[in-house]
Amino acid sequence: MTDDAIPTSAPRRPGLLGASAQFGLFAIVALLWLVFSTLAPGFTSPINLFSIGRSLAIDIVIGFSQMVVLATGGMNLAVGSIGVCAVMASGFLLQDLGLPIPLALAGALALGAALGWLNGVAIVRTGVNAFIITLASASLFLGAMLILTKAVPYNGLPPEIGAFGRMRIGGYVSPLLIIALAIGAALYVLYRHSALGRQILAAGANPRAAAMSGVPVDRVIVISHTLSGLLAATAGLMIVARLGAAMPSVGGEEWLLPSFLGPVLGGTLLAGGSVAVVGTIIGAALVTTIRSGLLVLQIGNFWLQLFLGLILLAAVMADRYRGIFVERRSMGRR
Amino acid sequence: MNTIFRRLLMVEWSGLLAAIILGAAVLAWLSPAFLTEFNIYVMLRSFCVALLVGFAQMVTLAVGQLNISVGALGGLVAVLAGGMMEKLGFPVAVAVPLAIGIGGLAGLLNGVLTVRTGINGFIITLATASAFTGINLGITESIPFYDMPPSLVAFGSNRFFGFPYLLIAPIVVAALLGLFLARTVPGRHLLAVGGNPQAAELSGISRDGITMLAHALSGALAGAAAVLAVAQLGSAQPTIGADWLLLSFAAPIIGGAALTGGHVSVLGTTLAVVLIALIENGMVLAKVDPYWVQFVLGALILAAVWLNRWRAVRTGMG
Repeated sequence: MTDDAIPTSAPRRPGLLGASAQFGLFAIVALLWLVFSTLAPGFTSPINLFSIGRSLAIDIVIGFSQMVVLATGGMNLAVGSIGVCAVMASGFLLQDLGLPIPLALAGALALGAALGWLNGVAIVRTGVNAFIITLASASLFLGAMLILTKAVPYNGLPPEIGAFGRMRIGGYVSPLLIIALAIGAALYVLYRHSALGRQILAAGANPRAAAMSGVPVDRVIVISHTLSGLLAATAGLMIVARLGAAMPSVGGEEWLLPSFLGPVLGGTLLAGGSVAVVGTIIGAALVTTIRSGLLVLQIGNFWLQLFLGLILLAAVMADRYRGIFVERRSMGRR
Repeated sequence: MNTIFRRLLMVEWSGLLAAIILGAAVLAWLSPAFLTEFNIYVMLRSFCVALLVGFAQMVTLAVGQLNISVGALGGLVAVLAGGMMEKLGFPVAVAVPLAIGIGGLAGLLNGVLTVRTGINGFIITLATASAFTGINLGITESIPFYDMPPSLVAFGSNRFFGFPYLLIAPIVVAALLGLFLARTVPGRHLLAVGGNPQAAELSGISRDGITMLAHALSGALAGAAAVLAVAQLGSAQPTIGADWLLLSFAAPIIGGAALTGGHVSVLGTTLAVVLIALIENGMVLAKVDPYWVQFVLGALILAAVWLNRWRAVRTGMG
């Protein structure tokens, strides 16, 4: 259904459809760029392009952190909580323990992966649906972080962190964006070309059939949740780089909507069994573009939420009706 | 004696009741402030909004749906009610029913979108939640309506000894909801659709209609919770509802609702909210970091889910 959705059994929808969906999405993004840059010349200034790219990088990785669990037919409401736990862990390791930067970042990423692993194990062991487990664990993780840190931000991080966040390659490209795209490429290879990726999608499409054909479904779910935690932590660290500080107010429930927007706009099925890496990137681009455009046009942040909600609704409905339309047309041909 | 005890064990809310009695006893023993009239008033008052929030989610869980937008919808209804009373000068008797009606309509919108598009209710209500919050913030620009009618504020703060008048509303709603689910045809249909949608449809129940009804009811209950919150706070804050999501699921699930639908308990949800209010109150009295509330609520949901599952496995075997 998308460029990189791998049909695990019979293709559920024609391949062209997905491509056209992404093309449509891409066209909308391009149109918005045209509108915003005509209305506000500042929109395409190097500094704004840089700031869009940096936000885009974070939105993309947040979207990926949800996408990898959507692939198994689950969901992870704890992405924001895991993200902020990683943020504060990095602050603690850098500022309080004074660890070298690579070690501290690795520690924060490992914490994110561990929290994701806990989610996965709890889901597999109890057999309770991912929604309720991750809703509860989101609250547990956030609560534990607040208890441990007393919600005090870490402002005295090594200056290299902030400098990396401000770094511009070629005038307006943030290295964060390059990292996000590299992660995208790695995920693309994982789902398209590796046995593990295929197993994840098979388990998502039809767990029973996958189990019968020898896929270790439980293990695949745990791995996906671990990956989700790792990606959420990555997004958290990107925010640390952008702010040059570790704030307890980032992440949390604020990530919930963007985490679903990217993958769902991009064509990842909630039912599981498919991922759309490129789609998620374009979906995130749409979100970032609208946010930045409204900011530049000074419409204000207040209406942003309404726009994002309406766009998500419009996108899922459009996708739905296109599916029905294509089905009817193909039936007519027969 | 033994059989009575065993029977009690089989009743799903028995554990909750035991936890409440035990918790209250421990608190009364440890803290002399616990049983004071004022503390009881404070606790009962915090219970009011929370119970309606729990009910708002419970009715969608009953049909096997969920409503991510309860909080956003509540916030929107709160500022609309506040705006109607402050800016348009509507009397309380007009503004309150109107506000609850708007909540019902917004819920119905959730239901219609879910049923007509066939898209997962999670995504639909996630999207509408964002839209409702957007309208809320767009109208208020985050500035509350402070000038509420004195009668409403009095209803929200006056008390008869330890009994806040505010508590009348949730008691009436709980009774009506209990009657509705147990004794009326639409109420039974609601649970039938949640329990087994195919069987319900085959016996002539309109599954779509019932799903829309549940969402509309959920919206109206969230609207009622929002109006109570306005009365309690004495102002229409745009932030009302921002922290309802976890609570809305915690109450019915700790109260024994099945996530798959078909089984909810008004009494269980009520006891769960009592337990949550008790825990929050105990933490305030013990001067524990308020962040612990978040942690404990999460742990409580996990414990309840585990307990429900354990019970299901046991009764399934027995």
